[in-house]
Amino acid sequence: MEEVNLAQTIQIGLPRGLLYYEYGSLWQSFFESLGAQVVVSGETTKEMLNSGGVLDEVCLPLKVYVGHVASLAGKTDCLFVPRIVSVARQTYTCPKIMGLPDIIRSNISGLPEIIDPNISLRQRSTDILDAVIDTGRRLGQSKTFSIRAWYFAWRQAKAKRTLPVAQSANIRVGLIGHKYLIYDRFISMNALDKLLAAGVDIITPDMVPADQIDKAARSIDKKIYWSYCHELAGAALALIGQQAVDGLVFLTSFSCGPDSLISEIIKRRTQAGNVPFMLLNLDEHTAEAGLLTRIEAFTDMLKRRNR
Amino acid sequence: MIATFPHMGALSVTLKSLLSGLGLTVLPPPPISKLTLEIGAKYAPETACLPLKVTLGNYVEALEAGADTIITCGGVGPCRLGYYAQIQQEILKELGYNFTMVTIEPTAFDVIKIIRQLAPKISMTTIYRAFTLAGAKMSTLDEVEDVLRQVRATEQVPGTSDHLYQQAVAEIDSAADPREVRVISDLYREKLLAVEKNDKNPYNIGVVGEIYVMLEDFVNQDLDRRLGRLGAHVHRAMSLTNYVRTHLFRSRSYIDRDNEIAKIAAPYLGHSIGGHGLKSIGTTVSMAKQRFDGIVHVFPFTCMPEIIAKNILHQASNDHNIPVLSLAFDEQSGQAGVITRLEAFVDLLNYRRGRH
Repeated sequence: MEEVNLAQTIQIGLPRGLLYYEYGSLWQSFFESLGAQVVVSGETTKEMLNSGGVLDEVCLPLKVYVGHVASLAGKTDCLFVPRIVSVARQTYTCPKIMGLPDIIRSNISGLPEIIDPNISLRQRSTDILDAVIDTGRRLGQSKTFSIRAWYFAWRQAKAKRTLPVAQSANIRVGLIGHKYLIYDRFISMNALDKLLAAGVDIITPDMVPADQIDKAARSIDKKIYWSYCHELAGAALALIGQQAVDGLVFLTSFSCGPDSLISEIIKRRTQAGNVPFMLLNLDEHTAEAGLLTRIEAFTDMLKRRNR
Repeated sequence: MIATFPHMGALSVTLKSLLSGLGLTVLPPPPISKLTLEIGAKYAPETACLPLKVTLGNYVEALEAGADTIITCGGVGPCRLGYYAQIQQEILKELGYNFTMVTIEPTAFDVIKIIRQLAPKISMTTIYRAFTLAGAKMSTLDEVEDVLRQVRATEQVPGTSDHLYQQAVAEIDSAADPREVRVISDLYREKLLAVEKNDKNPYNIGVVGEIYVMLEDFVNQDLDRRLGRLGAHVHRAMSLTNYVRTHLFRSRSYIDRDNEIAKIAAPYLGHSIGGHGLKSIGTTVSMAKQRFDGIVHVFPFTCMPEIIAKNILHQASNDHNIPVLSLAFDEQSGQAGVITRLEAFVDLLNYRRGRH
């Protein structure tokens, strides 16, 4: 296969931030099927956050993302920073993710070539193929080869979700938040592990089946047009509606626009459903001790309440 | 039914005319005050953006005054505006108010549907007349304001032009016929241009950014007036007319202009990011090419599209050698802080002038 040999020398950097947590493994197997070598930046560090400090007023995960990009500079032949406008009909991601390649270009110098396909499925879901072909072309691959690589990667990444049944008599807490917050140990200051250490079982939005999310979200007046917030709100409402959790924690980052509104909707529903609710708002000044105290106080309260 | 709506600059003149023309009883909220801001900030989510808080304050004050129907706009994202109505409605219901909220999604189809729902019995002619009169008021207000901003920069006695403008607004507000509106427009344009001038050469400053903050003087701390007093002819990147014609009526010429701006912005931002982010960048570059002295970029604190624009604008500012001052506004914005920064900015423009 001549095509594969062509691309074999190419190294692609994937910054471990933002939507990497949604699609990282999909992207990785796509690029590997295209014959490229993938380099993923390491876990978030303090230095990465510091180099993200060139940005003003933006949310913590975006600053961290810039740090991840900077950490890859000079290590790969190109970087994959897609412009993900929309991942489903009539929805958007968020303005920060939509402007990501431009933010990167305007604020970090000395970067290798940036592969930044437009991914917009706002009109048709098949528009993903444009992005696939565009990306493949930049790596010197043919149309059919790229589409085949995509199909292969996509089939691998598909997995079915089922809501876990309660296995223990433990208290169950819904931890609602974007994946790039919950699963980034640095940004979330390990909130997930801290909750587990407090002896509660955790349900995250990615454990809630998609049809239950959509069904629960339908009770909101107007469909939420931010894809990931639709998922967060739907998951939260499903958990509240099914009385599947004893308490709900909403993890957000300061200056996240969509979260600032949907957290309000979720808060009101928890009050109506008599489910204790805690909002954890993260920024670069969040102190770990303070976070721990709040988590412990919340879980203690839940335990007393359920006694 | 007593209808009310949110304030945004001189919007109330236009909307009052339109809605009463459709046969509705209209009660605009009291003018925005410190109290409005306090009420809004008290009940709105803490990290929501400023326009949500101020308009929530508007609604509370209007409902207290006796209104029972709120007419507002929707949106398709990704800016938060499209979700304001849902959040505000929940908050107001929780506060115990009894009202109907009418949300107009930004399509001509939805506008027609809502009109039919609000005023089922009136004829097409009446609807047409209401729109013509309101449209004339809207574009006239914008035209007179353009002259005002030009004259203010060089007036001999500060405040002369603003005084004339207030008279013009009052007369436009009470006009009952589009022809009358046009006469008022010509009259005040002449009066404004006849205002005695000083001998200074005005700075040309462009104001770009988010439309609500740009148009609402209470929220932007009287930005235009302050810059005018400092000797600047302010050019706004947007007006109500411009917004309505582009987004609601989708007029060809306005859309073409928008596409052109997007093309100019493309080297810095390759895609729309919602709100006016793309426009802020494109207009800055375009104004730099027209040899403007500087740009003031205004937006509500935490406004997503404009924050992205801000973090890219510095590059356009460097490349095109034009100073850009970014100002974020929230309920804590102090007057003194804004004044100091504007004065420093104009000092900088003055220094650059001397150097060239």
